Amino acid sequence: MKRITLKSVTTEAKLLLIGIPVLLWTIIPIYHMVLFAISPRDQATSGRLWPKNPTLDNFAFVFRQKHFYLEHFWTQLGNSLVIALSVGILTLAISTMAAFAISRLKVRGGRTVMNLALFTYCIPAAFLAVPMYKTMGNYGLLNSQWALILAMVTIASPYCIWVLKQASDKLPYELDEAARMDGATALQLFRLVYLPLMVPSLVAVGTYALLLAWNEYLYAFLLLSNDASLTLAVALGNFLSADDSPWELLMTTGLIYAMPPAAIYYTFKRYMVSGLTAGAVKS
Amino acid sequence: MASVSFKNIEKSFGKIKIIHGISFDIADGEFVVLVGPSGCGKSTLLRMLAGLEEISDGEIAIDDRVINELDSKDRDIAMVFQSYALYPHMTVRDNMAFSLKLRKADAELTNKRVGDAARILNLDPLLDRFPRELSGGQRQRVAMGRAIVRDPKVFLFDEPLSNLDAKLRVAMRAEIKALHQRLKTTTVYVTHDQIEAMTMADRIVVMNDGIIEQIGTPLELFDHPGNLFVAQFIGSPAMNVFKGTLRQRDGRAWVEAQGHQWPAGATSTGVDGQAVHYGVRPGDIGITAAGQGIAAKVFVVEPTGAETELVLKVGEMTFTVVLHGRTAVSPDDIVGLQIDAAKVHLFDEDSGKRLD
Repeated sequence: MKRITLKSVTTEAKLLLIGIPVLLWTIIPIYHMVLFAISPRDQATSGRLWPKNPTLDNFAFVFRQKHFYLEHFWTQLGNSLVIALSVGILTLAISTMAAFAISRLKVRGGRTVMNLALFTYCIPAAFLAVPMYKTMGNYGLLNSQWALILAMVTIASPYCIWVLKQASDKLPYELDEAARMDGATALQLFRLVYLPLMVPSLVAVGTYALLLAWNEYLYAFLLLSNDASLTLAVALGNFLSADDSPWELLMTTGLIYAMPPAAIYYTFKRYMVSGLTAGAVKS
Repeated sequence: MASVSFKNIEKSFGKIKIIHGISFDIADGEFVVLVGPSGCGKSTLLRMLAGLEEISDGEIAIDDRVINELDSKDRDIAMVFQSYALYPHMTVRDNMAFSLKLRKADAELTNKRVGDAARILNLDPLLDRFPRELSGGQRQRVAMGRAIVRDPKVFLFDEPLSNLDAKLRVAMRAEIKALHQRLKTTTVYVTHDQIEAMTMADRIVVMNDGIIEQIGTPLELFDHPGNLFVAQFIGSPAMNVFKGTLRQRDGRAWVEAQGHQWPAGATSTGVDGQAVHYGVRPGDIGITAAGQGIAAKVFVVEPTGAETELVLKVGEMTFTVVLHGRTAVSPDDIVGLQIDAAKVHLFDEDSGKRLD
């Protein structure tokens, strides 16, 4: 049995002292969202801690698209999903290959390319929104979901390349040399040795890109205008375009919108903290 | 099986030249050890043979075929790395079969080769484990298995035992040697440990600062070191060396140092009055009662069971003496040193070259 000492008690107390406010800070807004989502319309802003007669009617409203703002709910949810997945997959493909080339193949000038890519973060994405709009217009991509996908891949890639490059650098270089001596070509090295060992980082980076696109508002708002091609994030924003907004529906939709990221995070959590390379080389 | 030859090999990293024109040949089936202090270029030389480093100048040939421009995978060599470099996501079996898989060998051949290698190395019960589930010695054996499965022309070992503890190192040393006697594959082995070199090699190549100091069998290097560096590098405990003046008269020779006359064999290359390094191995010095030989004071006595190591002082100079068996001397005793003139090594003070 673990012995309880004064030191362990005070450490625990300090952790709780930090943990409880952080927990409240995170939970309270979500609690209010839930409160709105399960309240009938006339009680939504009553100020009670728990509604007098909680209901799931709001969810039924949303799922059956029974409101002016919700006419394209399922389409828009689908759009968000397709766009986020596309961005995740594309970013992953591009940044994995880039990181492999820079870190493992040590391509000449690779570091410069990476640094230049990172430099793009010196300019806030919001500043680039209008030029990006103009560019997409030049290519005739406006109102196409490709415009948003390409824009998000552009924004996500530099950071992903950087993260993957750092992770790649930690793989022992002898593995590459051993594989080369065993007769592997660069592509075989990539497929048979590099990718399997990078899985935890790939999941982390893919999730990052996917969630970035899922949560994106500004670019989606600018680049897409047709109601049926909007993402749910923009559709949620449109709820506020009237004076009399249906708050309880907004919050319900918001809650639904927040579910997939939470699910993704819990599914892949174990990948984000695992040491798959244990046993490769003696450290 | 194959012969290997190095011709005027040079290597520079940028402007820094680290290997200065090395030439030597390795015979078919020979076990050659490259040994030297860290930074001497031995690993770089091995990596050039492996195709992991570019050759700046000169030619390396395997079986008389120049391989300078050949990719690692086309050189038909296998390498065991210091860090083992096992693929962590593959089982022992898959690790060993990887090279055959890349060559698209059929399953039957792969199974046979992996099975044979596993039997030789006692890896049978471990075939389905992952590297992280193995001990250091087992990982080392898997790394060797991966090389054996290839059935290459040449085996390369890059300090394969440095990560093992002392006891395991001795055991693996014997295993590698036994493996070579069984497979008779040409082997190039790099180490900084001269004992490994002495115990395993057919021939040793002693390197220092990017050049070869001497090539020879272990006992040749031990008995006739060609220069001061080899004399001090080979042998443990290290040779006792000090400076003195050579005296040669009437076919008799001795060295004057520390106010004593040290016995030496007559040389044909040394001249009377030449400044020399006087070297004698710890095992070639005998101890007698005080009054005979050169007087020395006992400083430390280190009994190891079969042998006793003494640290003695002659004036300010420290001497190491290894006696077989046990001795009754204790610290602060005065004893006499007896040196067999035939076992003394003399080196020119400026060039470090051996005087014979």
